[in-house]
Amino acid sequence: MTSDIQVQALPVQGRRRSIDISWPTFALLTLVLSVLVLLPLFWLVYYSFRSDTGAGATFANYIALVADPTLLRAYGLAIGMALAVGVLACLIATPMAWLVARTDLPGRRTIRMLVTASFVTPPFLGAIAYEILAAPNSGIVNIMYRSVFGLEASEYLVNIYTFSGLVFAIACFTFPYVFTLVANALDKVPSDLEDASSILGGKSMTTLRKVTIPLVLPAMLAGTLIAILQALTMFGSPAILALPAGFHVITTKIWSLFQFPPRLGLAAAAALPLLIITVILLRAQKSILGRKGYTVLGGKSGTPRITELGPWKWPAIAFVFCVLSLTIILPYLAIIKTAFTGTVGDPINLSTLTLSHWRFVLFEFSATQLALRNTFLLGFLTATAVTAIALIVSYLVIRRSVPGSGFLGVLATAPVAIPGIVLGVGLFLSYANPTFQLYGTIWILLIAFMTIELPAGYQQMSSAFSGVHPELEEAGRIVGASRLRTLWDITAPLLRTSVVAAWCFVFVGTIRELSATILLTTANTKLVSVIIYDLNESGDLGAICVLGIILLAASFAVVFIANRVPVLGGSQMNTRG
Amino acid sequence: MAFLELDGLTKSYGTLTVVKGVNLSVDKGKLVCLLGPSGCGKTTTLRLIAGFVPANAGEIRVGGKTISSAHSTVPPEGRNMSMIFQSYALWPHMTVFENVAYGLKLRRLPQSEVTKSVRTILSATQLLPLENRYPGELSGGQQQRVSLARALVIKPEILLLDEPLSNLDANLREEMRFEIRRLHDEFRYTTVYVTHDQAEAMTTADMIVVMNDGRIEQAGSPEDIYERPETEFVARFIGGTNILSGTRGDKDSVVGEGGLVLRCGSGSTAASGKTAVSVRHHDIELSSAKPKSADTNVTVGTVTRQIYLGSHRDYLVSIAGGETVRTVAPVNVAIPVGQEVWLHFPPEKCRALAQ
Repeated sequence: MTSDIQVQALPVQGRRRSIDISWPTFALLTLVLSVLVLLPLFWLVYYSFRSDTGAGATFANYIALVADPTLLRAYGLAIGMALAVGVLACLIATPMAWLVARTDLPGRRTIRMLVTASFVTPPFLGAIAYEILAAPNSGIVNIMYRSVFGLEASEYLVNIYTFSGLVFAIACFTFPYVFTLVANALDKVPSDLEDASSILGGKSMTTLRKVTIPLVLPAMLAGTLIAILQALTMFGSPAILALPAGFHVITTKIWSLFQFPPRLGLAAAAALPLLIITVILLRAQKSILGRKGYTVLGGKSGTPRITELGPWKWPAIAFVFCVLSLTIILPYLAIIKTAFTGTVGDPINLSTLTLSHWRFVLFEFSATQLALRNTFLLGFLTATAVTAIALIVSYLVIRRSVPGSGFLGVLATAPVAIPGIVLGVGLFLSYANPTFQLYGTIWILLIAFMTIELPAGYQQMSSAFSGVHPELEEAGRIVGASRLRTLWDITAPLLRTSVVAAWCFVFVGTIRELSATILLTTANTKLVSVIIYDLNESGDLGAICVLGIILLAASFAVVFIANRVPVLGGSQMNTRG
Repeated sequence: MAFLELDGLTKSYGTLTVVKGVNLSVDKGKLVCLLGPSGCGKTTTLRLIAGFVPANAGEIRVGGKTISSAHSTVPPEGRNMSMIFQSYALWPHMTVFENVAYGLKLRRLPQSEVTKSVRTILSATQLLPLENRYPGELSGGQQQRVSLARALVIKPEILLLDEPLSNLDANLREEMRFEIRRLHDEFRYTTVYVTHDQAEAMTTADMIVVMNDGRIEQAGSPEDIYERPETEFVARFIGGTNILSGTRGDKDSVVGEGGLVLRCGSGSTAASGKTAVSVRHHDIELSSAKPKSADTNVTVGTVTRQIYLGSHRDYLVSIAGGETVRTVAPVNVAIPVGQEVWLHFPPEKCRALAQ
């Protein structure tokens, strides 16, 4: 290359005067997020001070909250149940996480996969599976017990319609939270910390007790708090198991206040303490995980040290198998069996196998088609909208292109502290009034789902954005691409995999939502999760299991397609480093 | 007239001012190095020139046209510059060819011309055989060259380099210094190069600008900066030196605290109060007997440390007045620790520093 082509600069041609659209975008997003997050909370507070009989401002609702024994009892039972779930989940999950992460237990990888897969099980489906297994009369376990010992029809071994049954059923599907956090923490405790204890003379049990366990304690506590929170704010499982047992927890109690005659003000007042408890628990969790000195949990280095189980191998295998049977294998077998046999109690043989439930659900039951269409439409819309909003918000926040954009991040994360049922109440109060009239349309559900899923979507997108070095974008700008062009040509392709993953995550989360849905749905806007709940009231377990299988199959199919189709990102990017 | 001009350029983040009224003129086709310790504002100055950050006060002009001022900032894409980033910032989803071609495609050149220009620059940087690779499949040095090619291919008015060699290992870094200078001699783009490595600056630059605490300490040719430092900071930062402080004596001499009189061949002393003298380590002559020739610029001291370094010996000598002087001597001058030693500071090597 010689000097004759040197200094003539090549200007970028055809440039239009670029307009900075980050301010209008910022303003629009602030508005949208405020409507999604703040509006329902505002109406919630407003209605909690309104009398249900229509006369002005009042403290009557709050007085009722303290004075009404049924409400207090519901709160007490809910908190008791949640604590019990937390303790049980922690007791099951911690030893299991240790066995999987730090011992030579065979099949560790499979166990980890199975536990992670049980995240996908909607808790209400788990509750129904336990109805099939352990209802006092028709439960499979009790039927077998009676036939083995030749007992009367009134005898039973286990009864899921009890407080302890409810705790058990919820713990089965919340222990993965504790398990995953503790197992990941154990993976990350570098072996040199333990080696340091050994070289100073600590025996392996001493090292475990004095070094390893204290290091994963924050993860244990944080996981337990999440389990408690999940149990406390759950609607599906308590509604399925506690109502037949004759007691209310707070979520079902709030729901019952919406039954005729509706007592909206009281419901609003009853929902607020739940919101406050949630915020407190989340703050506690954050401060536990954020404590200094435990930073090693984010660390690197060293393969974890593996303990040889020796003679303890068989008891360990028995323990893990027992846990997996109760939480995954038995519930799924029960669901599959019920979907393909006439009634729950039927033995399995050729004459009892039937597709009648499938025929009923797919072709005879009038609500199915509408519910399926609504569910998948909403799943699709929510996932798309949430991913898009999360993408733009995290761009504005991470790249700090507008002063004050951090506020958007706060707004996008805030709904994580709003339990589904509380949001349901808030949205009902916001949009069921004559001004908006969104109640009874699927749009109110769309708003609810967007709000619920926003924090998860935002978290995924913002961590993806921090993975894209800002210099990659600056390199595009300096060679002549505008901000939007850079986003399209450089940032977007680099984020594609994460966007697809976030989309799937939101989709799967949406199609199984029940807590907020139950207050916002009407006959025209039934969803699969709601008709599962309705069918449970009429006792049609076969049809429920068919719908449950469809729901799960759809979830797995979406995840599978997203991971395999190269256009959607798939694994092709990863090989290029 | 200067091609690139910074005029009173200032940048603050909140109450923290990181660039404090920088004035600088760069002639067309010159390579200027901004050199300084981390946090001195050099990278911020570069990003101001690139247009990634708006200025709070002052102006940046290119060819007489204002591109940054307190009121308006031409966006980076409108400046016709290009930049080489510390991380190289190669787009991992594009091949080498696509990375380099991107800037040309934005300029809507016909495909044949794009291909021709890209191929030319790829062969100039010895990357042609790798054009279909992805950045993840290249070594560090190859990535660095792709980054260079991508910046050069658009024929920028100004080329900016932000610590481009800091991610390379020592050998490769030395090789790439010469490569950058070679490419500059070939293409003659006006270039601003940010580094904290003085050897890198010495190898590549036409002009070195030493920055400290948001200000320019001194700007000049590599010889100027090394041989004629104007401040203690510059003398210390470039090449390492002994700074001996004292008060102004008669004419061009400085009297140290222990009574050592240093006649200075160059520089200027402070008008009143404390002033300083800089003498480079290797300019001090060390001997076990008193040198006969001189009566000034000579003192006696005690060896406090002596290290054998193969090619030479490194001495620390404490002299009267409590100061410690570092010097080097040939390997055969071996004086043990604790022994008395004579130091001669040749006047022509002593530079008086006013500040």
